Amino acid sequence: MAKALRTEALLDFLRAVQQDARRLVAPVEEDGLRLFRAVDRVEEITLAEGNTRWSFKEVLFPRSEALFHYRLSGGSVALQEPDQPEGETVVFGARPCDAAGLAVLDAVFAPNGRPDPDQAPEHEDPFYRRRRAQTTIIGLACLEPGPACFCTAVGLSPTGTAGSDLLLTPLPDQGVFLAEAVTEKGERLLAAHAHLFTDTDDTKEQATRAAEGRIQRTALSGVGGPLATLFEAPPWEELAARCLGCGACAFVCPTCHCFDIVDEGNAAGGSRCKFWDSCGFALFTAHTSGHNPRATQPARFRQRVLHKFRYLPERFGVQGCVGCGRCIATCPVNMDIQEVVAKVTG
Amino acid sequence: MMSDTFEPKIVAFVCNWCTYTGADLAGTSRMQYPANVRIIKLPCTGRISPLFIMKALEQGADGVLVSGCHPGDCHYTAGNYHARRKYTIFREMLHFLGVEPERLFFSWVSAAEGRKWADLVAEVTDTVRRLGPRRSAWGEPVEGIAAPRLSANPVPFEAPAGTFAAQAEAMREKAKALLAGGEVGTVIGYEQGTLPGTARPAFVSTPEEVDRLVWNEHCHQNLAVYAARKPAKPGKVALVVKPCDERSLVGLLQENRLAREDVVLIGMACHGVQSEGALAPRCAACQTRTPALADPVIGEATPPTATADPRLEQIARIEQMAPAERWNFWQGHFSRCLKCYACRAACSLCTCERCLAEKAQPRWIPAPPDGAGNLSWHAVRAWHLAGRCVDCGACSAACPADIPLYLLNLKLAQVVKDAFDYEAGRDPAAAPPLTTYREDDAQEFIR
Amino acid sequence: MANVYLPYLMTVAAVRDETPDVRTLRLEFQDESIREGFRFRAGQFGLYSVFGQGECVFCIASPDTRPGAIECSFSYRWGGKVTSALSRLTVGDTMGFRGPYGNWFPLDAMRGKNLVFIGGGIGMAPIRSIFETALDQRAEFGDILLLNGARSVSDLVYKAETEAWIARDDITCVKTVDPGGETPEWDGKVGLIPKVLEELAPSATNALALVCGPPIMIKFALESLAKLGFGKEQIYTTLENRMKCGSGQCGRGNIGGCYVCKDGPVFSAAELEQLPPEF
Repeated sequence: MAKALRTEALLDFLRAVQQDARRLVAPVEEDGLRLFRAVDRVEEITLAEGNTRWSFKEVLFPRSEALFHYRLSGGSVALQEPDQPEGETVVFGARPCDAAGLAVLDAVFAPNGRPDPDQAPEHEDPFYRRRRAQTTIIGLACLEPGPACFCTAVGLSPTGTAGSDLLLTPLPDQGVFLAEAVTEKGERLLAAHAHLFTDTDDTKEQATRAAEGRIQRTALSGVGGPLATLFEAPPWEELAARCLGCGACAFVCPTCHCFDIVDEGNAAGGSRCKFWDSCGFALFTAHTSGHNPRATQPARFRQRVLHKFRYLPERFGVQGCVGCGRCIATCPVNMDIQEVVAKVTG
Repeated sequence: MMSDTFEPKIVAFVCNWCTYTGADLAGTSRMQYPANVRIIKLPCTGRISPLFIMKALEQGADGVLVSGCHPGDCHYTAGNYHARRKYTIFREMLHFLGVEPERLFFSWVSAAEGRKWADLVAEVTDTVRRLGPRRSAWGEPVEGIAAPRLSANPVPFEAPAGTFAAQAEAMREKAKALLAGGEVGTVIGYEQGTLPGTARPAFVSTPEEVDRLVWNEHCHQNLAVYAARKPAKPGKVALVVKPCDERSLVGLLQENRLAREDVVLIGMACHGVQSEGALAPRCAACQTRTPALADPVIGEATPPTATADPRLEQIARIEQMAPAERWNFWQGHFSRCLKCYACRAACSLCTCERCLAEKAQPRWIPAPPDGAGNLSWHAVRAWHLAGRCVDCGACSAACPADIPLYLLNLKLAQVVKDAFDYEAGRDPAAAPPLTTYREDDAQEFIR
Repeated sequence: MANVYLPYLMTVAAVRDETPDVRTLRLEFQDESIREGFRFRAGQFGLYSVFGQGECVFCIASPDTRPGAIECSFSYRWGGKVTSALSRLTVGDTMGFRGPYGNWFPLDAMRGKNLVFIGGGIGMAPIRSIFETALDQRAEFGDILLLNGARSVSDLVYKAETEAWIARDDITCVKTVDPGGETPEWDGKVGLIPKVLEELAPSATNALALVCGPPIMIKFALESLAKLGFGKEQIYTTLENRMKCGSGQCGRGNIGGCYVCKDGPVFSAAELEQLPPEF
């Protein structure tokens, strides 16, 4: 049986969660935009509909992190593992699209965690893996998807549970959040705060229908056909003519995961840092010799589209785009991936 | 208490010919002066890039001293005059960002002034020692001080009824004629965006496609960003430009990025553009409503009666903040920076073939999007646009993190106007302020 | 869980100039247990670091039959940050290595076959690894032909080793330089690799060819091999791409849906043909 949390008890629940975990990350309002931040007081949290400016992926895959520190002295080198101070973290307010995006990050950074017994152990990102294990996701269903949203077009739902450990769906008419435990972590969270939850016969069916009905963008059939055709046939030059070559789309995206690694420091020492990078940047694939396999912006934009809609599904069996619409809304020149994919697939 | 034990680290960038020789003279004359200064010798103050100062601060210098030949004495004729202009702007920028100006020193010390050097170093060391250690590392907020927030009062957007429709019609007619007559191969204008109340750049190359083009208050992007790019289709490019966009073309012409005859400008008389449902702040007091360079100018517009730029009030409020607050104000904004470089990509005057941010040998700007990397990036970007930025608003509009970059650029435009009586993007024949100098440029800040 | 980004500390045991801008480093593992336990397969690559400068990617240039140390050969003509720093290292310096990554040459399929090795310029590095691996188990293979070519005499890598290979009577080794690249003392062939290859005309029967070099050389060498009757499954080459992680995460290594760092760097000509033209 489903559980219900009274709307006015939400902050009590979050306060209790905050006391158990070391860190509570949730959407807050800052300088006029909504962002996920570690919150001190649960009253700072905003429950406004719509998406934060970028996803919570940085909780698991930070913008920048040290892979190790090095000290140099007189020809000798000493390496030191970085601290990872975050500890147990609860993310509250993840939208179902963002939570579903974790499947991509998991597939790339923690492939051995996937239930595929035939798969040989692979190179894993230990930092991601550790954070992922220490993080619990409390999803918050959307009732009012925005004009850029298209989660239903990629097979997801504004009230979908994928990626959440616990999903809360607001049912304003009943004055409750419907609570669904999706994973063991979610079960534990419910059990630990059982006194705040009551059994209910309510379902989210109506809310789901209403929210899905608000999404205006059309379904995408996936990008099929021979890759050679996809490379040459669509008018990529035309589709990407206005693309400016910045990384905004990648950095606000819940599933983009490309990164760069550089050493930052001075003659005495420093850190090897891993930080976000974007396939939209001209130098992303440039060889030192000057040769660049993706020499033009249309080629780079094609990579972005096909990576999400072709390579990720093909290689990892995961949907590369979750339809959050952030890249569309954030792009300075309104490059619209949903529009492009719809065109490319006819 | 701190000042009793604190030994400041001070980096001095000096020119080889005057100050270094002067320091040498102080040494050979056995004049005593504090050992806190690390001297880095360069050929000329003209070669002492502001990047050096930022690097020194990033690496933890408590104070920085720049010193070279007196005006008129430069070994290379005018390096110090150019340096003086650079530092006039750069100092103001650091000040505006919240770097304590008391930690930065500029002086002229000749080869004969060993005494002056010794006294200067003593004074600089003493001043920095009294100030104590830096309040925070480069790019990190000062602890215990809240980052002040600025808010603006939106100005409602108004345009005379029917204006846009008539202008759009005339613009499309012109675009069709240009394409049909083969005068241009591509027209870059605006089309309706895929989100409500948006427009976006559009490339059209046949008269039939022209019907896609729109003109309305949502046409905020600066299409001059595409001016220096090679078009996919053969032939010249025609750009639909607002007066402020046109000013960036003036910059491109001044810097020889393109020639006037390379591009056809379809100028739109401007009623301002919208930003978040209101008049874009930069438009509130904009007096330039009619393009000056454009081939045809379409429509008419009169400047607003309001002459108070709401952004100047924001700048004034930042300047009223204590340095630590100002610092935290900017760190608060920069902490959101993802280093997506949308600001650079949208800027029609960021035309370097390879941006400094992408150069690794040496790496002036820490690459990761963290405190130091973000502060250095935004400081370098603003600095490189000083005297060049035409206030088109593209960087701020492009920023996914809503960092008010325009405040930094506008502040530097004010400094340039006050110090050198120069406004970017007005006169294609004018010499940009950092490529020239006057012997009587002000120099109160130089000892 | 182990930090996969933490490199092994290596001591530079030897530095050898191959050409004016190509250098070979011999690297020994500082940790004894890793020195004993480290294994790789010829064709695999690694990331080499100079701390404070960063990492860059090359194949391992030594054979996989001689554990305890690895060698890498790299060109520093483009003045990249890390390759420049690597070129400043001297014997005794500490640097880093992590790997091995990627797939390897099909050694098992090579057994019992006649082998044709073709290396152009710095492209000889992976060829040297698999070639010497084969030499170390000479009896397992049929005829062996090595063609080592370069633009000019001074650009020819592994000069001393090439002389030693030429001197052996159980293999055929031919060196060549592009027309105009020869010197009066040059005793090798003069001619582009594909042309020399066609002259040598190795039989395609029961044979495999392994090719590496600049893209243009690979292109024409593949055409020559086709003329000689080599099928696409009989030809292997290795690709390079910009890489940061070495393991399919950083997003640079893919050509279409194929990851050079994981599915490669070794590809058969048949596999190569399936890739979109983005390398």
